[in-house]
Amino acid sequence: MMDHLPQILEALIFISVEPLTPDKMAEVLPDATSEEIAAVLQALVAAYEDSDRAIRIVPSAGGYVFSTKPPYDEPVRRLLQIERRKKLSGQALETLSAVAYHQPVTQAEIASIRGVDSSYSLHTLLENKLIKIVGRKDAPGRPLLYRTTEKFLAHFGLNSIEDLPSAEELKKLMQEENA
Amino acid sequence: MSSENDQAGVAAPEEGDAGYQIRLGVFEGPLDLLLFLIKKKKIDIQDIPIAVITGEYLEYLNGRERINLDREAEFLLMAAILIYIKSQILLPREQPIEPDIDPRKELVDRLQDYQQIRAAVGVLREREEEQAQIWRRAALTAPLPEQDLDLIEVSLFDLAESFFAMMKRKQGENLQVIQGKKLSMGDKMNEIVAVLTERDHIDFLEYLGSQDSLEEALLAFFCLLELLKARVVVAIQEQLFHTIKVWLRREALPAKDQE
Repeated sequence: MMDHLPQILEALIFISVEPLTPDKMAEVLPDATSEEIAAVLQALVAAYEDSDRAIRIVPSAGGYVFSTKPPYDEPVRRLLQIERRKKLSGQALETLSAVAYHQPVTQAEIASIRGVDSSYSLHTLLENKLIKIVGRKDAPGRPLLYRTTEKFLAHFGLNSIEDLPSAEELKKLMQEENA
Repeated sequence: MSSENDQAGVAAPEEGDAGYQIRLGVFEGPLDLLLFLIKKKKIDIQDIPIAVITGEYLEYLNGRERINLDREAEFLLMAAILIYIKSQILLPREQPIEPDIDPRKELVDRLQDYQQIRAAVGVLREREEEQAQIWRRAALTAPLPEQDLDLIEVSLFDLAESFFAMMKRKQGENLQVIQGKKLSMGDKMNEIVAVLTERDHIDFLEYLGSQDSLEEALLAFFCLLELLKARVVVAIQEQLFHTIKVWLRREALPAKDQE
């Protein structure tokens, strides 16, 4: 294995403001194999997680990025002069869930899933770049099709869309809730 | 019934039921209300007694003082669907209802799909809460430009537009400057070239704005146009809507030496 690979990857992630992908790391480190990089990344994430440090490395949107740990939210916000984070409304979140689980999906399909008109929520989500238009459905009226974006993944700290609980997992959650 | 509904709206979260998002005692939609009633009555979703649930549902709607058609038309639509399903069941049939032609099936499928979305909302809300407490370095620094700068050489019209915008601003300042400075185009042109040689580039608006008087700014503007025409300088806009910058043309350097 390459000398100091953990330190090198740590440095690369440190200077990256956007999540750094393993592909990009492999590109600048031709002497390291992608298996080595993957193994070191896993160890790095675990090492920060277990340490007393206020920062950690998180997998995000297919890459890796440094972030603070939750207990330090308040002082960080004071430094940034941010009162609180913007959160999605109930309607917007429900619409977003419908898009996430049924994508690519049309406005009419979302309205049918939710039982209510969803045009306003869709507009808000588009504006916030949490969803995007990916084309038109081959159906009468050729309605627009929507999908979730990378920003959606980042907003919820997901690495990929597969990180969302599956239909079975959701079913299990519902049963636990009803029990 | 109205007061009981209000209680129901408040009571649901107390049951530790994060799946139901009840804002101000109002349900997200008719499906949300139906799921709530099904749960309240401990009904098996696969075998909904339509008569019971329709009664409960209508009672909820009746309890409301008035229905806002804009916002609650969907609740009425669901009432109509329930009554339609009930009528289908009541119709005399030669054979008992088979599961796959059960008139309730479509509604049950929709309810189950919706139930899944509600569960997903719970998961996403939790993740959002957690994410709201962690911060990345990106929050402090402006993101780096993603692509190479897209240089746009600007036209006379862009320059003129910028100039008039600045003139308007200068007029607003309404400064009365009394001075006997003699201005000549030759001097001004030499001055601009000298500044450019020293500073590499100048910001078009900033430079004109820094002139002592409107007359001088006007003169500087015409000098810049003259220099552009003579291809001594080049005006470039790095990105659309960014400020216009003026650079000395490299090949023009010898010309400047002659002056």
